[in-house]
Amino acid sequence: MTRFTESLLLGGASILAAFGVTLVNLSRGGTVDAQAGLTFLVFAISFLGLQTAIRRFAPHASTLLLSPVALVTAIGFVEIYRINPDRAGLQRWWLLIAASVATLALWALNHAGVGRLRRYRNVTLVAAVGLLMLPLLPTSWPLPISGAEVNGSRLWIIVNLGFTDLNFQPAEVGKLLLVVFLAGYLADRQMALTGAQRHLGRVAIPEPRQLVPLLVAWVASLGVLVFQRDLGASLMLFALFVAMLYAATGAVGYLTVGGVLAALGSVGSWIAFDHVQRRVAAWIQPFSDFEGAGYQIIQGSFALGTGSLAGAGPGLGRPDLIPAAVTDFIFAAVGEEFGFAGSTAVLAAYALAVATGFGIALQARDRFRKLLAAGLSLVLGIQVFLIIGGVMRVVPLTGVALPFMSYGGSSLVGNMLLMAGLLRISHEEAT
Amino acid sequence: MNGPTRRLAVAVFGGFGLLLLAATWFQVIGADRYRSDPRNARTAINLTTKERGLIVSADGEILAQSVRVPENASAYARTYPAGEAFTPVVGYTSRLVGDAGIEAAYGSDLRSRRDVTISDAISAIFGRDLRPRTVQLTIDADLQRAAFAAMEGQKGAIVAINPGTGAVLAYVSSPSYDATQFLGSTAVEARQQLLDRPDEPLRDRAGQELYAPGSLFKPIVVAAAFDAGTAGPETEYPDPVELALPGTSATIRNFSRVACGNGKTVSVATAFIKSCNTTFAQMAIDVGAEEIGRSASGLGFGRSIDFPWQLATASFPARQLADDPAALAQSAIGERDVKASPLVMAMVAAGIANGGEVMEPHIVASVFDADGNQIRSIPPRALARAMSPATAAVLAQLMERVVTEGTGSRASVAGVRVGGKTGTASRPGGAPNVWFIGFAPADDPTIAIAVLVEDGGFAGDTATGGSVAAPIARAVIEAWTTG
Repeated sequence: MTRFTESLLLGGASILAAFGVTLVNLSRGGTVDAQAGLTFLVFAISFLGLQTAIRRFAPHASTLLLSPVALVTAIGFVEIYRINPDRAGLQRWWLLIAASVATLALWALNHAGVGRLRRYRNVTLVAAVGLLMLPLLPTSWPLPISGAEVNGSRLWIIVNLGFTDLNFQPAEVGKLLLVVFLAGYLADRQMALTGAQRHLGRVAIPEPRQLVPLLVAWVASLGVLVFQRDLGASLMLFALFVAMLYAATGAVGYLTVGGVLAALGSVGSWIAFDHVQRRVAAWIQPFSDFEGAGYQIIQGSFALGTGSLAGAGPGLGRPDLIPAAVTDFIFAAVGEEFGFAGSTAVLAAYALAVATGFGIALQARDRFRKLLAAGLSLVLGIQVFLIIGGVMRVVPLTGVALPFMSYGGSSLVGNMLLMAGLLRISHEEAT
Repeated sequence: MNGPTRRLAVAVFGGFGLLLLAATWFQVIGADRYRSDPRNARTAINLTTKERGLIVSADGEILAQSVRVPENASAYARTYPAGEAFTPVVGYTSRLVGDAGIEAAYGSDLRSRRDVTISDAISAIFGRDLRPRTVQLTIDADLQRAAFAAMEGQKGAIVAINPGTGAVLAYVSSPSYDATQFLGSTAVEARQQLLDRPDEPLRDRAGQELYAPGSLFKPIVVAAAFDAGTAGPETEYPDPVELALPGTSATIRNFSRVACGNGKTVSVATAFIKSCNTTFAQMAIDVGAEEIGRSASGLGFGRSIDFPWQLATASFPARQLADDPAALAQSAIGERDVKASPLVMAMVAAGIANGGEVMEPHIVASVFDADGNQIRSIPPRALARAMSPATAAVLAQLMERVVTEGTGSRASVAGVRVGGKTGTASRPGGAPNVWFIGFAPADDPTIAIAVLVEDGGFAGDTATGGSVAAPIARAVIEAWTTG
């Protein structure tokens, strides 16, 4: 696919967003108004601007990444606009910011090259841990950055800019830095971690000293669960670490031990924490607690079922009945108004983006870049799987943002940075 | 080291495959289970979410309206502010129990064109008007209310027509019900409760039910006889209390069981005013089924009338009656094989009042767009000439005398010349169905009316058209001429 075809698709996604906004307006008794034009402009500036940055800073980058991202962003935006027009206005600003940040990242990476990141892996680790811990700052103290608790999870910081407060989830960027660290660390230590494995019968077990990093990751993940009460981030971090360890070493033993540790952690946290028990109960039998824990999942199921094959049409369903419809449950809202056709399109777009990401990893000649690309693709894939799977009861529900679709600036910025990373790696491998 | 990465990719796609399977379950295979779950609030809310146009009366009163629901900017609730008196006309639109009345028949005008997706957006871009339209009825809101009130507590129907245009001014079926109970999530239960009621409020007695017209058929026999020349108003007929029917042992008796005039002979005019059965049985046998059938057909019998909803077709089986004088004689006094709805009987009155020309009844006057521009209107259309103007004039005079000096005296309105005819259709094993048809003012009629009260109304077994139906007609005519 050429850049020109890509720009046509990006323009198409911008038209789709504006068209969806128009349909929502019509369904409310409004007419074609400035919202549609504004939406088209913001999408065109963000995505075609980002493409211009790619032409300039990473001209050989893959052409298959940006268009599926633009598609899901557009569909998600229509639903945000449909449910909460005020938030859609903010989301437009966030889209511009995220595209600008990604442009800056492309510029910086063009200046330094992805390989430079490997040298600073310990700095990125410190930065990542720092970002993950930031929400634990006191909620009220004199400094302009303070922590905040939203819906029982300690994931947010509030940055007081003097004229306004900016809410941010630092983990969305922190997890990318963690991937950078892991890719650098595993690329450097690959030999030591691959070495002789013991065998317990037919099951391969790594040497005890090789297990140390795994245990550190396990403890860190449980820490996130205990102190920030964020099941999603906890699962995500541990799964990412185990998967990258496996990708770096090819040692099945890590998967075995990782699986055992995950099981232990799950059972332990299920015994220890009420909120985990409620999640699991709502997952297995949501209808037994219709008014309580199961309410959100059931409303999501009702939305998906009512949407059926073709959906109610933008603005004509009732996704506003689903709690957190613009964030965690945006997929159910899309499923209701765009139908099975829409959900399938969304899943296909994510699959294309993740597949392209893994393709970039497979083609990478350098161990660090290979692991980095694989890690970034995994972050995208695991997020999508955890939250859509949670909405549709494939896995217990965890509060993870659906990349590019959920309302929220930090998630959008983080995932655009992720795209910038993948784009840059694909560029470097093609030159 | 590509092997593990590839296997990880496969694992992620396996996960995506699971998501696709789950979406297939929730949105295709199991979709119905979630959609129709009684706890799914959408099922109830969906009933009300779309905007629909106004239905207004001839005098501009709102009969059906969509109002915004406060808690949801894009949702509307349908309301019927004029209440149950208008339900048989306005109808309802319900996801659960279907549509009825004008709401059903004019659904494509009343619906908002904003609810079809892509083509509507394209139309909007090209400036097409997507807003729902307004349907204006010929119903006079005050008259409809007055008529419904006059019938209150009794089962029956009232239809009032403008004789010159065929515009339906009132269309009442009693008892009625509030259609808003069909809009909520309990519509099915509400409908079942109405179906279980012994007074059957869901039946449209005005246009969709047939009754024996009783003596109301006599004007049609008179019209046929006058037009055919077999009799005139002063023609003298034998005046027995009881008439033996040819070829059978059955007889026809006068309702009051006394002779009509002096017991020897009686004029057609006197027999008509006093509603004597024996005279009309003989008159029908003299003029023949074919001529009566022609007059009846002109007045609406046997015709399927183009109306927003399916009307019951009144019947007079002329062909079968041609060779059966006994059956013809019984039919001539509105029993046995003759059946008509109150709407058709109102057409009979209207035809006589309009000089013999019957206008096709219509209940919708115009359709307007959202800016108030008329998109189309329904012009008056003649249905048939039922009798000569001269016959109609004589018949109208006779009907006026029915009110001034005959069985219909209780329909008289001070200061207004009213013409009318009473009917009492006795039913084996029950109180009679009683009738009145009429028109006013007699010199230049602006309203023709038919009143039917089932089971004798409050009066029960002792009811007659003159005692029960005529006063109701008077109330309606009063409301019309003074309002």
